[in-house]
Amino acid sequence: MVLVLALGDLHIPHRAPDLPAKFKSMLVPGKIQHIICTGNLCIKEVHDYLKSLCPDLHVTRGEYDEDARYPENKTLTIGQFKLGICHGHQVIPWGDLDSLAMLQRQLDVDILVTGHTHQFKAYKHEGGVVINPGSATGAYSSITYDVNPSFVLMDIDGLRVVVYVYELIDGEVKVDKIDFKKNATTHVSH
Amino acid sequence: MSESSIEPPLRRFSNLRSVRWRVDLGILPCSDSSSIDDLRRAAADSRRRYASLRRRLLIDSHLPADENVSSDLVIDNPLSQNPDSKWGRLFRNAELEKVVDEDLSRLYPEDGSYFQTPACQAMLRRILLLWCIRHPEYGYRQGMHELLAPLVYVLHVDLDHLSRVRKLHEDCFIDVFDGNNSFPDVDLISNYRFQKTNKWDSVPGKGNDSHESTPKTSSIDDLDPETKEIFLLSDPYGAEGELGIILSERFMEHDAYSKFDALMNGANDGVISMAEFFSPALSIGSSSGLPPIIEASSALYHLLSVVDSSLHSHFVELGVEPQYFALRWLRVLFGREFALDDLLLVWDELFASSNHMCIESNTEYSFKLLCSGRGAFIAALAVSMLLHLRSSLLATENATSCLQRLLNFPQNVDMKKLIEKAKALQGLALDVGCSSTSSHFSISKNNLAVRRGYSLPTGSASPKSPNHSLPDSYWEERWRVLHKEEALKKGNKSLGERFNLSRTESDPSPAKNAQTKARAPSATVRRRLFDDSPKDTRKSDADDGRSRCDENPAAPIESVSLSNKADREKQFEEEGSSSGENSSVLSATLSHDESIGNDPENESEKSSVTSNSFIGDNDEESCSQEFIISQAVQEAEAASSSAKAERAGSLLEKSASLKEKKPLSSKLQWLWKFGRASGEANTEKGGAEDSEKQSSVNNGKDSSCCSAPNGTCNSCEATSRRVDVGDTKVMGTLKNLGQSMLENIQ
Repeated sequence: MVLVLALGDLHIPHRAPDLPAKFKSMLVPGKIQHIICTGNLCIKEVHDYLKSLCPDLHVTRGEYDEDARYPENKTLTIGQFKLGICHGHQVIPWGDLDSLAMLQRQLDVDILVTGHTHQFKAYKHEGGVVINPGSATGAYSSITYDVNPSFVLMDIDGLRVVVYVYELIDGEVKVDKIDFKKNATTHVSH
Repeated sequence: MSESSIEPPLRRFSNLRSVRWRVDLGILPCSDSSSIDDLRRAAADSRRRYASLRRRLLIDSHLPADENVSSDLVIDNPLSQNPDSKWGRLFRNAELEKVVDEDLSRLYPEDGSYFQTPACQAMLRRILLLWCIRHPEYGYRQGMHELLAPLVYVLHVDLDHLSRVRKLHEDCFIDVFDGNNSFPDVDLISNYRFQKTNKWDSVPGKGNDSHESTPKTSSIDDLDPETKEIFLLSDPYGAEGELGIILSERFMEHDAYSKFDALMNGANDGVISMAEFFSPALSIGSSSGLPPIIEASSALYHLLSVVDSSLHSHFVELGVEPQYFALRWLRVLFGREFALDDLLLVWDELFASSNHMCIESNTEYSFKLLCSGRGAFIAALAVSMLLHLRSSLLATENATSCLQRLLNFPQNVDMKKLIEKAKALQGLALDVGCSSTSSHFSISKNNLAVRRGYSLPTGSASPKSPNHSLPDSYWEERWRVLHKEEALKKGNKSLGERFNLSRTESDPSPAKNAQTKARAPSATVRRRLFDDSPKDTRKSDADDGRSRCDENPAAPIESVSLSNKADREKQFEEEGSSSGENSSVLSATLSHDESIGNDPENESEKSSVTSNSFIGDNDEESCSQEFIISQAVQEAEAASSSAKAERAGSLLEKSASLKEKKPLSSKLQWLWKFGRASGEANTEKGGAEDSEKQSSVNNGKDSSCCSAPNGTCNSCEATSRRVDVGDTKVMGTLKNLGQSMLENIQ
């Protein structure tokens, strides 16, 4: 019953002033155990804000991040799952599933979280899961049109992970849910 | 089969506490005629209820995915702020669990061998969580776990007992095919052999002696009634099968929950529901607008004032409000005061008392606690605990040490005596509770007034603390300022200086003194004697007074007091707080035809009445004086400081009748507030004080001119008393009194 928040590509303050108010109201401290950030925060204030939501914060370097000390890739283990984080601008073609799968094999993780495309994606691929939480602020992207603010909350429990997707569409928060089971018959249920 | 046929005191299941408690709490049918089967059925029902509750309320968030298809994800996502969402409930339960865990980890560390085991803790946690989820209006409060712990403990103890009995009578409990009947011949032989081999194998003397001693054909009919009962209670083939086994380890949690629920809810329309003590909300039905725990604490004080007024007044003066210590006592039903085994004895008695309302349902009551046998026992036990500590409490001089004494109740207490005393007081408490309904309004107001009254400067019990810790009301300040000058004029004696009140020489007092002198020469002698050795003389005087007073029946005194009321009241105004109290005591007694309905209280009231009656009746006056003296003696002896006694003596000197001794004054003030409340609304107090003030100002002027003649009497105390009374009626009569006094002098 571990709640992991995955978000990224906020581009604050360059392309967006702040998280959407509705998202901010949902993100209260105390509920989430880990935060995974794919990158492009870009400033320290955002880092501090995320730290206030949860002390366990993992960030990887995006190309616009002002803090150069973030790693390029990061792996961590939560429960039974191995998670890998990468911003994704290093993986070309950007957003290509096969290339990302290559990175997943390279990092040897069950769940790979990447960003950069500012578009939400969740694939089950070769026994693993690739998740793109999109842009939490809906920041402009040169490769995606009509970016909707979105982020992902993962509920990891034993061998099962439930992925909740929160999207802000037309000013309303829409939630969707995806179930993944590890080492079980591969099935994606909505 | 049951032992109830032997004697009423010896109750059914006397050795099986958990069963008895379940009967007392109403979970199991309590009539003596109910058979074992009935008990089993009732137990099974309660267990079923708990099981369904548990299934319903303990959320498993990881329900299979398919069932969530219909649920709205916007509501049911983990981050949802919606209170209805399952996740929201989950988080709330998690928080509740955290709080409960904090308390549980600290539960009974000294008996940790049982309570700190993870299994027990898990069970307790579940029970508490379920109860709190079921009753969200109360939530979880610290202390609930302490109420639950002994309930679980007795179940555990009984199960131990059961297993011991089982071992002893193994052949009966063994699930042999033929069950209860005597064994057929074939089996008999083999059984005998079986027993024999048992004897060889096991440790000698361990319990196989019983095997040898028991006849070969041991059927349950040969067992003593207790064991037989236990067997029937735990027979898996009885009514309701396994669910009906009364003493079952498997259903320990269920039983504990039912007991806890019954205790908290005051099952079956009981009066005392512990949950009320945990809630800050006002209790319904009671006329006083107070949270139940506060009301119960004041019920405690009320009973204490009836039983031991000096201790009560001592508390009042120190400003020790009952809820400081009663909160803990009541909320955990004395769980923190006694060791676990002692506590079980207490709770035995407690549960044995019925929880039913003992007054008619339509009358208002002021003390819910005193309305049922169980509540009365609680109050009585608390009072008996206070009485146990009486001497050391009266020796304390400030609230802190008093509370320290109370909150660290001594460990090695003779429980039997304490419980006996509590039982004796229980009847008294019930009477008090029932009779208090008639004067409920006054009592409720009195409670408020008492609380406010505590804040009024009554003069502290300990003369060593000249500065009052509580702020004076405006009029008291004015009065004090006014009379301080006069006191300074006369040059206070050292004795007077010690008291934060300075008494003015007002006309009634010199008049009184003159009268006293004129009428009772012996009084002067007494007074002088008071100067020298207050205690000794007072003792002898007390004896005289008592004997004399005994002759005076109560009724004439009261009637006389009626006539004297006016006079007295006038004097009171000058004399300060308790003088007013005296008058209002009169009004209290007069207005309360039923009085408080208790002999001790009546006695005290009458004594104060007699103490007040000084005019026009020599004998009465001296009697009252002496009676006051005797009271003063009692209280002075009780008090730690001799200065109090001296002051009492000096007070006696000052006026023919007792005006205010500090202990008596506070008590009288309490009584006065009693009467006051019955007479007028509290709100009038300020206005009354105002008018009182004016009249006192008038008399102050008069008093100054009387100071000269007063100076002649050396025994007169120069202390002036603050006027505390606010009764307009009192004031009017006091005015008349003053006039008559003035005329007498001139």
